[in-house]
Amino acid sequence: MRNYKNILVGMLCLVLVFMAGCSTTQNSSEKQEEKEKNVNMIFSFKAANLDPHTGFIPIRAGLTETLLKLDDKSNIEGWLAERWETTDNEKWVFEIRDDVKFQDGKKLDAESVKQSLERSIEANESLGDSLKIKSMEADGQALTIHTTEPYPALPSELVNPYTSIVNMEEAKKDGEEAFRNNPIGTGPFKVKEFKSNQFVEVEKNEDYWAGEPKLDSAKIKFNEDANVRALALQSKEADVVYNLPAESLDTIEKDNKLRVESIPGLRAHFVLYNSQSKNVKDLKVRQALDLLIDRKSVVNDIMLGHGLEANGPFNSTLPFGLDEEVSELNVEKAKSLLTQAGYKENAEGLMEKDGKPLTLELVTYKARPELPLIAQLLQSDASKAGIKIDIKTVENADTHLVENKDWDLATYSNNTSPRGDGSYFFNTAFTETGALNVGKINIPELNTIIEKLNRTTDLDERTKLTQDASKVINKEVAHSYAVYPNIIIGMNKRIVNWEPTAEEYYILTHNMDVK
Amino acid sequence: MLTIIKNRVIQLVVVLFILSLFTFTLMKMAPGDPVLTILNADEMVVTEEDQAELRNKLGFDQPLYVQYGKWMFNLMQLDLGKSYMSGKPVIEELLTRIPITAELTFFAMTIMLCITVPLGVWSAKYVNKWPDQLSRILALIGASIPNFWLGLILIYLFAFKLGVLPSSGIGSYSQIILPAFTLGFTFAVVYARLLRAGILQSLSEDYIYAARARGVKEWRILWLHAFRAAVLPVLTIFGLSLGSFLGGAVVVEILFSWPGLGSLAVDAIFNRDYPVIQGYVLLTGVFVVLTNLFVDLSYYVIDPRMKRKEEAL
Repeated sequence: MRNYKNILVGMLCLVLVFMAGCSTTQNSSEKQEEKEKNVNMIFSFKAANLDPHTGFIPIRAGLTETLLKLDDKSNIEGWLAERWETTDNEKWVFEIRDDVKFQDGKKLDAESVKQSLERSIEANESLGDSLKIKSMEADGQALTIHTTEPYPALPSELVNPYTSIVNMEEAKKDGEEAFRNNPIGTGPFKVKEFKSNQFVEVEKNEDYWAGEPKLDSAKIKFNEDANVRALALQSKEADVVYNLPAESLDTIEKDNKLRVESIPGLRAHFVLYNSQSKNVKDLKVRQALDLLIDRKSVVNDIMLGHGLEANGPFNSTLPFGLDEEVSELNVEKAKSLLTQAGYKENAEGLMEKDGKPLTLELVTYKARPELPLIAQLLQSDASKAGIKIDIKTVENADTHLVENKDWDLATYSNNTSPRGDGSYFFNTAFTETGALNVGKINIPELNTIIEKLNRTTDLDERTKLTQDASKVINKEVAHSYAVYPNIIIGMNKRIVNWEPTAEEYYILTHNMDVK
Repeated sequence: MLTIIKNRVIQLVVVLFILSLFTFTLMKMAPGDPVLTILNADEMVVTEEDQAELRNKLGFDQPLYVQYGKWMFNLMQLDLGKSYMSGKPVIEELLTRIPITAELTFFAMTIMLCITVPLGVWSAKYVNKWPDQLSRILALIGASIPNFWLGLILIYLFAFKLGVLPSSGIGSYSQIILPAFTLGFTFAVVYARLLRAGILQSLSEDYIYAARARGVKEWRILWLHAFRAAVLPVLTIFGLSLGSFLGGAVVVEILFSWPGLGSLAVDAIFNRDYPVIQGYVLLTGVFVVLTNLFVDLSYYVIDPRMKRKEEAL
């Protein structure tokens, strides 16, 4: 009998220990809420350190700021730089705001901006190539940048969070390691505690130049599991949660304390064609395939409504997006295009040319779960038009597509306008040397427009050129754009004065408040 | 005992060599390399030239045996290289993660013991009665539910429905309970069955009858005689399955955002951070071999016959 008692007593002790642990944490968090305004967030992307020149968390957590930023319509506007001007696209003068202090009290001037930019180019493998800075001169609040070539995209590149401005003098004093865990920026919040890959806790910077932050503190945790993030929001443990799984939204929307924000993102899911493949080399075949993408069904059935049917490389809600109509599923027209291309329907209902049925290899990958579904949908609709599609799922699409030549089409996804400008995507996905031009696309007409865009400063002109390039891409069906997925954010209704933005850079702001 | 340790150390070196050779070749055979990730091609314009330059800088264009040879040469000097992603020495990366995984594993094992021992003994004592049936059902459940699913269910129950425990994170004791239980439970219930079988086996041995005949109390027979003998096979299996314990930790760490060795390994694999993957595999290899050594040594403590056997030799 005694052994029973032992076991029971042991178990009881364990239960008590557990309960004791739980109750203390709850009490302490309640007490904290009474005292100060605090927000808890969970991001899906984690941070090993807080180096603003190699990661996005510092800008997202409101620690650092850049010279220029994107407004809520993705237009570029001044931030730490009030104004900027150039006459020849090679010599740029940025007027740094006069009323900004770093979080340690040091005044922000052109010299400190220069030092910070120098550090960012040194620390970030590809930033130097994208900024193309030859030299910089600092004079009071005026920073003059000379670029290696006429470079109208410079303002857009200075929106890049990797160019965050930090006090490098402080960093030199404290050493690299301290800097990477506690960068001194100009943002509305400063680091209170940071645990690598776990969380960052920030507190308000009372001297913030644009006004005192409404929140006293915030804690940002990192969790890569979407279901756990959803549950944390439902249990009110987190106030703001990024990238919720679409399946969880119904339950969350039913909770009257919570709200779901589904906003247009800057990404596009699309189908890309291999220009080296004999089968899809023919424009008519590509046009037919484009007509076989059921964009409505992609949005409604695959994205569960959280996306927008695509009509070009850039989200149509953006200033440089297209306002053309979205092409609809049209099996008959696709068939007639194939007939024009010399294909005939055989006895089995397959389209064939020279006795060979049209069979295509479609490469897809699972890292973005919607892509294999888009591939299956296309496969099923294409079969109605007599095209047989074999789906091949690979682990690493980038490498597979570069190293193999026998694929015909692939599902793909890109952040097509990360910094309020289309030139990144054109240069990386359509030019001869672009790293993401895996289909080896080379359209002379498009190349000319891209080159012109790379030399143009005037914003309206750039918008027009971007749209022209998009139209050429659509005309030549170099890619078939399927959907712009939304960014899905869950938030507690106690959060006020805050709207998530498409670029996902500016998350913790000085205006964010709680009821 | 010393011969055993000596043999094991030799064995360790051989195992690690073969292990490193396999992982190195498999890793290089898998498609992809870390170049596009390092260059951040998803955000910035990267040219093929940039890629070729970086590949050359990292030595990826050299033949496989040269790359392996270089890595081995550095390893001889106890240099595991630097992570491509963080730029930090691999040793440092591993050392910062070990305590986190060790903490998780320690608590998971504690929970495991708290379940295995009572459940195993109890079901052996009441063979085919309801405690035994219960443990059978639990073992079936434990063996068939995946870790991540159990973890999600626990989070749903305790963090969301009851609201008594935090869903994830690390730092306080309340944050350890769910991940440790998730990791420990599946092993615990299966080991409980092993323990039960072991106890039943030894309860039918002659020395138990002898003990009963001497009038030894039933609880002494159960705990000091039968239990002690039954622990041996469980320990062996435990030593062997330590690898899967660490494997389970990978899933649990991701779910509960514990930045331990498991999540380090997963990130490294996704980013093709070769030096980190190699370092992780070596470390796990050392760990598994050493644990098995300890398990073997513990036989000497638990089972006096072993000592006598050696003395007889």
